[in-house]
Amino acid sequence: MKLSSIRPDDNISELLKTDLNKGFRLLIETYSQKLYWHIRRLVILHEDADDALQNTFINAWKSIGNFRSESSVYTWLYTIATNEALALIKKRKRNATMSIDDLTNYFASSREGSTWFDGDEAQMKLQNAILKLPEKQRIVFNMKYFDEMTYEDMSKVLKTSEGALKASYHHAVKKIEKIIIND
Amino acid sequence: MKKSDNIPDKNPFKVPKNYFEEVNSKIISATTGAETVIRKVSIFNRFRTSILVAASIAGFILISYTAIKLLTPAGVNSRVSETLKEISLDSYINDIDLSALEENASSLILSEEVPDVSKKDIIDYLLNENVDLNDIYAQL
Repeated sequence: MKLSSIRPDDNISELLKTDLNKGFRLLIETYSQKLYWHIRRLVILHEDADDALQNTFINAWKSIGNFRSESSVYTWLYTIATNEALALIKKRKRNATMSIDDLTNYFASSREGSTWFDGDEAQMKLQNAILKLPEKQRIVFNMKYFDEMTYEDMSKVLKTSEGALKASYHHAVKKIEKIIIND
Repeated sequence: MKKSDNIPDKNPFKVPKNYFEEVNSKIISATTGAETVIRKVSIFNRFRTSILVAASIAGFILISYTAIKLLTPAGVNSRVSETLKEISLDSYINDIDLSALEENASSLILSEEVPDVSKKDIIDYLLNENVDLNDIYAQL
């Protein structure tokens, strides 16, 4: 099911105005899974995605007063989640003794290992190929290919023009295909 | 855009059993479940730290100015600053080796060695340097 086609935003926005607690609970129940998978595809490890997901909603709760009801709840949350994932990746790069460029080695050295990775060799190749993309391009690719977001929504989340996003996505697909075919 | 035939579709990542039910409960406890206390704060208390820092800096400046004024004889300050200006300019000029500069500049201007770099490599490099996507594709 496409994420972009699910739009309970109107109900949630209304409920946030009339009953904040109830509205926020509905928001958590509606979007926690989608946001988790978006974060997980960026940070890879379940433990890290769990941390980032909880921080996303805690930050959203703290800044709920800044949320303007005319913008979409969905894109607002997605922006916070993306920023949380990127912050965690940056923090990990500063602390890590090795990079995450190769999933096989990364899983072997991490606490979690490959417990929460169920992919076959093809999936491993794909994830390694995606990891070779520059960070911003990786986000664009994941949001378009896996989350099937519209360019309009991506533009609001990433503060980038639709044209640039389309070009970036096209470039990312070609690069990944080339890596997978040549591997 | 239709999905690529060369790119697998299945989600390879797993989560622990009942993860989403548990994490939702955790998040609700940390947010809507937590008590929030709202108290009125006076303007002074709200900006207390900033006011104290500003007052400290103002006090320091006043004391320093007064001390300098009292301890420095008249006329010395302007002579000292002029001398310092002359010294710093002379030493700066002396430190520059002009002939070396000219030699390096001419080799840069006359060099015809241009690396062979594809557009794709340039885009990847700029993305890795966190240049804004809008700026990159505006130039293409």
